[in-house]
This record gives sequence, structure tokens and C-alpha cells, in this order.
Amino acid sequence: MPLGAYLTLAAAVFAIGLFGVLTRRNAVGILLGIELMLNAVNINLVAFARFWGDLGGILFTLFTIAITVAEVAVGLAIVIVIFRVRRTVEADHLDLLRG
Amino acid sequence: MSLRVGSAMVALLVLALPFAAFLLLALVRPLRRSAVGAAVTSITAMVAAVASAFWLSWRAAPRALLQSPSTTWTWIPADGGPMATVGVMVDEKSMAMCMLVTFVSLMVQLYSWAYLHDEPRTSLGRYYAYHSLFAFSMLGLVLAPTFIQMFVFWELVGLCSYLLIGYWYDRPSAARAAVKAFWITKLGDLGFVAGIVMLWVAAGTFDFWDLFRLANAGALPRDGMPLIMFLIYLGAVGKSAQFPLHVWLPDAMEGPTPVSALIHAATMVTAGVFLVTRAFPLFLLVPDVLTLIAWVGAFTALLAASMACVENDIKRVLAYSTVSQLGYMMAAAGAESPSAGFNHLLAHGVFKALLFLGAGVVIHIFHTNDVFRMGGLRTQPLVWVPFVLATLALAGVPPLPGFFTKEAILGGVLEAHLTLPFAMLALTAFLTAFYMFRVVFLTFFRPGLGDSHAHHHVPALMSLVCWTLTVFTIASGVAMARQVLRSGHHGDAPAWLPAFSLALAGGGILLAWLMYQRQALDPARLSAALAPLDWAARRRYGIDAVFVGLYRGALLAFARLVGWLDRYVVDGVLNVLSAWTLRAGDRARRLQSGQPQDYVYGVAFGVLLLFVLAQWRLR
Amino acid sequence: MTLETVAFAGVAVVLLVSSLGVVLTPNLFHSVLWLAAALVATGGVFLLLAAPFLFGVQLLLYAGGVVTIVVFAIMLTERLVGRTIRQASRYLVNGAVLSAAVFVGIVGFLVQAPAVTGRPEVTGDLTMAVGRALVGPFALVLELLAVLLVVALLGALYFARSES
Repeated sequence: MPLGAYLTLAAAVFAIGLFGVLTRRNAVGILLGIELMLNAVNINLVAFARFWGDLGGILFTLFTIAITVAEVAVGLAIVIVIFRVRRTVEADHLDLLRG
Repeated sequence: MSLRVGSAMVALLVLALPFAAFLLLALVRPLRRSAVGAAVTSITAMVAAVASAFWLSWRAAPRALLQSPSTTWTWIPADGGPMATVGVMVDEKSMAMCMLVTFVSLMVQLYSWAYLHDEPRTSLGRYYAYHSLFAFSMLGLVLAPTFIQMFVFWELVGLCSYLLIGYWYDRPSAARAAVKAFWITKLGDLGFVAGIVMLWVAAGTFDFWDLFRLANAGALPRDGMPLIMFLIYLGAVGKSAQFPLHVWLPDAMEGPTPVSALIHAATMVTAGVFLVTRAFPLFLLVPDVLTLIAWVGAFTALLAASMACVENDIKRVLAYSTVSQLGYMMAAAGAESPSAGFNHLLAHGVFKALLFLGAGVVIHIFHTNDVFRMGGLRTQPLVWVPFVLATLALAGVPPLPGFFTKEAILGGVLEAHLTLPFAMLALTAFLTAFYMFRVVFLTFFRPGLGDSHAHHHVPALMSLVCWTLTVFTIASGVAMARQVLRSGHHGDAPAWLPAFSLALAGGGILLAWLMYQRQALDPARLSAALAPLDWAARRRYGIDAVFVGLYRGALLAFARLVGWLDRYVVDGVLNVLSAWTLRAGDRARRLQSGQPQDYVYGVAFGVLLLFVLAQWRLR
Repeated sequence: MTLETVAFAGVAVVLLVSSLGVVLTPNLFHSVLWLAAALVATGGVFLLLAAPFLFGVQLLLYAGGVVTIVVFAIMLTERLVGRTIRQASRYLVNGAVLSAAVFVGIVGFLVQAPAVTGRPEVTGDLTMAVGRALVGPFALVLELLAVLLVVALLGALYFARSES
């Protein structure tokens, strides 16, 4: 398969993930969308690594995965604290930044 | 040290003495608050100034014909010679005025000590400080060698007039009168300063001597001169209370009587006449303006005299009389006899001051200004002799000074072939004698209040001053008589003139005697006969109302316009801008919804924009 | 029609469908399950791209760890008794339009790039190479990652402690 196919696939997954981030009401749902987007990035990296013979792509994917895991952990911890304090995780209700 | 410099030094001394008194009183507070200290400071300075002024006249040797009488120092430097200078100009006119100003100032300051005896001690200090400042300003005016220095002192004199008229500043009528005097004279001063500047533009100098040389050499441009000299004359119109800017002088009587004697009889109001006399070589270039001056002067004289005939307040009568006599002086200048006007100025200064101070005596006795509430002083000659003598001088009875000077003016006017002004001035002379003796008969000789009272106590100082001035009047009259007899009939005046003016004076006195002493003619019937004139005169011919309407109307309209502009244009623009900003801010604020997903929208839009930008660049 | 093409098509379909499932399912729990499927499919893509090590890592960390964490989080943030978590989405059309635009933008770039079909030979063991790199030139990165993980752990613990 040409490189373009893999990249297009990644782009599609990225777009779907973005859609999820924009439209989901639940905070956890938003995080799921972010997961999808990060996955798409990983596919991109690995595809480039394969087609250019570059090990760096693989390594970078490894790092991305590790960082993503850390981010999910902290993010969900925050969501849990918010739930404890405000008894809601609906993104609509978390508007303290309102100007 | 050449004599010219010596005279300048003495002149500066005359100037410096009252100024030093003023500075002392202004800066040293305990001195000012002590009435005795203030009076002593001021009067001592004045005595020294009088002595210096006499010394100046005595010492001054006649100077060479083409030698400038001015001694000046650079004030505003410029390329090619100083733009303005300060200094002193010592010639016959300024020396005479110095003597008049210092002498009358001294008399008035001595008189004030007794007259204002009931004033709070601390106020008197302020009074004497103002007096010293005024003396300094007036002396600076008469000694000024340039237009611009004269103008500076002109304004200072106006300020002193305001301060002294409004001396009793907690009286609303006094405060209003002071402001009115200031405003009306300012109107004239506008013309004055415009004229001075235009003259400088045309001639390149402010200096009198230089200007006279240029005028005599015909080096001044002909075209703008009438306008320039008219504008300068406007300053004299304001200061010397010519029609129509005469309205401030009667109201200025709100000030203390000694102040009226000094400022509104002898010195400040004569500044306008002095200006015309001083700048006479320039006025000679514009005979049309001179004719105007003569006509306005004659008309003012008649107008004021008519108003004085119906006035009950003794000080107001004297004020109108001053306006009338100032008209005489101006008419003389306009008729190209400035020396006649100037002599009348000097003589009038002394006997008018005496009249005011004498009026102050009766005001002190009766505690009122109304002549119809006075009377019965026949038995106290010490009180009425000075006043009656001064009245005779004013009416023009020989051998008192008024006769000679008035006759000289009438002669000059006749020589200039100004027949209608001559007629007006003659009628004025008749009316002057009439209304002054009306006042005399009503104030002193009417059987009435005074008889029942015991001998009124007049403070010795006041009497002394009045009698001193009386002696001066008589002495100057006798001196003038001797000079006339020695030189024969002076000038080209017709031979019937002395008899004519005597007849006018006598006629006026007779009429007053018949109406007010003998009660042979009923004043009420006479005023009924001249009803429209009488009605108009009592209302001052509505000129005051015109000024009030103009000032109020114009000023208020202007103020309203400015207020409208300020509220709706200036503030309006700002308010609109701020309202728009606030509204825009409110609308922009809605972008910050606080919802995180909306921010993600923003980021996504940004990314899209970057894509578009990149695509553009790639193309 | 090579085997690779068929395999790619299959994996791609699974990935796309499960991604759509993640974002469209109303029930959050179902959403997580769809995510698990998507993650596994991504692992399949990695296999197709000759990176078996990554396939393993993906399954372990993502499909195993992340999904578990998310499930736990869902449990802790739902009301145990009462209504189900509403999952209705907001402004679907807006989101769809924007996402589609981003997709079109990216694809636009891809279309302009020169096509790359050839790929180098797969030589050597990928896992060994990755291992050697991690303790070699990329050792520092490895250590930093370890620090990051510890920090994240501490942070999560801090957040999750009880208020006492």
C-alpha cells in the first residue's frame, strides 16, 4: 500500500477524534476523543518510519504512548476531583473560565 | 553726571517711594495689620514723594530742543535694537502730573485716616497698601516713555481702581461696581492695546520720542493712522469716562469718599486726557479723529451735566460733574488746544478733590449721601467755606482757576471753528454752575436739620486737609490771574469770551438760588415742563441698560453655546466612543464562554487557517 | 489484489468503524469498548507496518492500561443510583463540518506530495534495534520519560486522595 493510504487513514481517524472532542458532553468522552487523535498521530509516525527506513519514528511513537498514558492518568484524576467538588462532569457545566 | 541723568534718578525716586511702601505693606504682615503702622508707612513715603516731585521740577533745567527727555533701559531684547524699553520721561507734562498725583495722594491719605476712623484696624492696612500701589501705578503711567510701559501701568491703575472701589468687598453693590468699572474700562483697553500693536507694526517702535520724530518727519504711513489713533483714543474713552463708556464712573462712588476724590476726580480718570495730550503729535496727523474727540467730549460734557441736575446723591452729582469736566478736557484736545485741556486737568484735579473731600465732611456729619436730608450748616463757615470755594472754582468764577482754564478751552474750541461743540460746552458751563449751586444750597444753606443740632464735630485732620486744598486753589487761581494780566489777553480768543463765560456761570448760580434758596421758582414745575428730558435723565438715558443687555446677553449666549458644545460635542464624542467600546467589549466577551470545547473550536479554526495559508504559499 | 492490500482494507475498516463508534455512541461505557476495538485495530496497522514491538506495546499499554483507567474513571463519576449519564452531543453539525474541513485540509497536502510506493527492505530485528537505541543515544529520553511517569503518578495520587 502506498504511504498515502496510511496517512489518509490516520487523517480520517484524527478527524473523527476531533469530532468527538468537539461534540461530546461528558468530560471522559472528550478524553476518549483525544485518545483517538493521539492514535492517529502514532499511525503517522510509524508509517513514516517504515517508508523512510527511519528508526526515529518508532522511538517517537514509543515516547508518545508513554506520555499519553501519563496524561490520561492525570487527566482522569482531575475529572474525578471535579466530580467530587461539583458533582458533575458535563463539560457544559464546567464554565468557570467564562468571561 | 549730566543733568538729564540726574532728573531721571529723581524721577525714579519719586516712583520708588510709594512702591517701597506698597512692598513693605504687602510683605510685612504685622505692619499691615497695624493700622497706625500702615498709615505711617504710606504717608511717609508719600511725603517723601511729594518732596521729590517738587525737587524734580525745581532742579530740571531746560533741555536742548532735540534732546530726548527719556532715559530708558532695555526690556525686551531683539536683533537690531531692543523691542521694548523701560524708563522715565521727564518733561513739563510728566513733572506737573507727578506733583499733582503725589500732592493729592498725600492729602487724601491724610484725610482717610480721620474719615475711615471707624474701620477695623486690619482693613486699613489693606487700604493704605492699595493707595501706595495706586500712587506708584499712576506715577509710572505719567512718567512712561513708551506706549507699552504706559499700557502696563494703565492696567495696573485699573487694577487699583477695582481694588479700591471694591474696598468694602462684602457689600454686593460695591463689588458689582468694582467689576463694572473693570469691565467697561477693559472694553476701551482692548482698543488701546490693538492700537499700540498696530502702531508698532507700522512704525517699529513704542517709544514716544522716536514716534514724534517719525511723525514730524512724515515717515509714518498715512493709511492706517486714523484707525490706529482711533483705537488708542478708545483707551482714553474707557478710562476717562467718555460717552458711551461713562457708565462706570457714577457707580464707582460705592468706594470710600477719599478714594473717589483721588481716583475718580484727580488722577486715574485723567489718564485718558493725559494719553491724548502726551500722544498729541501723533493725533495731529489725523485731524478727523481729533474732530471726533472734540464732538464726543462736548457731547459727554452736556450729557453728564443733564444727568447731574436730577441727582440727589451728592457723590453721584460730583461723579457726573467729573465726567462733564473730562469731556471739557477732551474737547480741548480735540480742538487742537491740548495745553488748555491739560491746564484744566491740573486745576480741576485740585478743586475736584477738594469738592469730594468736602462732601465727605458733610457725609460724615449727616451719615447720608442724600442732599435732601442735609442742611442748616449756615452757621458753621469752617465746614462750608472750602466746599463753596471749590464750587465757585468749578463753576468758573474769577479769580479762581476754573474760570481761566474753562475760558481757555472755550476759546480753543471756538478757534477751531467747532460751533456746535462750543454751544454744547457753553450750555454745559451754565448747567454746571446750576447743579453745583443746587447742591450747595440744599446741603449747607437750607434751613433744616443742622440748626437744631449743636456744633458738629468735624475731625481736625479732615478740616486741615480741606483748608490746605482751599489755600492751594486760591493761590493757583491768583497766580493764573496775575499771569493773564501780565501777558494781556492770551491767544486769539474773541474779546467777548471772558464776559460770556462769566455770564454763564452767574446765570447758573442765579437760577439755582432762585429755585432752591429763595424758592421763587418751583423745581417740580420746571421738571414737569421739561418732562421727557427729566424722565430720560433720571434713567440715565438707558445706556446702562444697553450695556447690561449686551454683556449679559452676549456673554450668556456665548456661555450657553460653549456649554452645549461641551456637553454634546466634546463629551458626546467621548461618551459615544466609550459606549461603543463597552458594547463591543460585551459582545467580544461572549467569545469566552468558559466551555472548553469552544476553545477547541478556536484552535481547530486556527489550524484550518494555517492550512489555507500554507496552501496559498504552496501555489 | 495482494494479501497486504486486503489486510490493510480490513484493518482500516475496523479502525474507522470503531472510531466512529467511540464518538457516536450515546452510552459512555459502550464508547470505551469501541475505543478498545479501535486501539487493537491500530495495533494491527502497526503490524502491517512491520513494527511488531509496537503492536505489543499498543496492546499492553493502550488497550490494556488506558482502557482500564477510563473504565475506572467512568465508574467513579457516574451516579450509581439514578439516571444514566446523558451522552447526547452538542452542535453535531458544527463539529462534523469542522472535522471534515480539517480532514480535507490534511488530505489536500497529501495529494500534492509526490507518491511514495517503494519502501526499503526490512532488515534486522526491530525490537533489538529499539532496545539498543533506548540504552544508547536515547538513554536520556528514557530517563526523562521515567521521571515524567513518576511525576504523573504522584500527581494522580495527589488529586485522588480523599479530603481529610
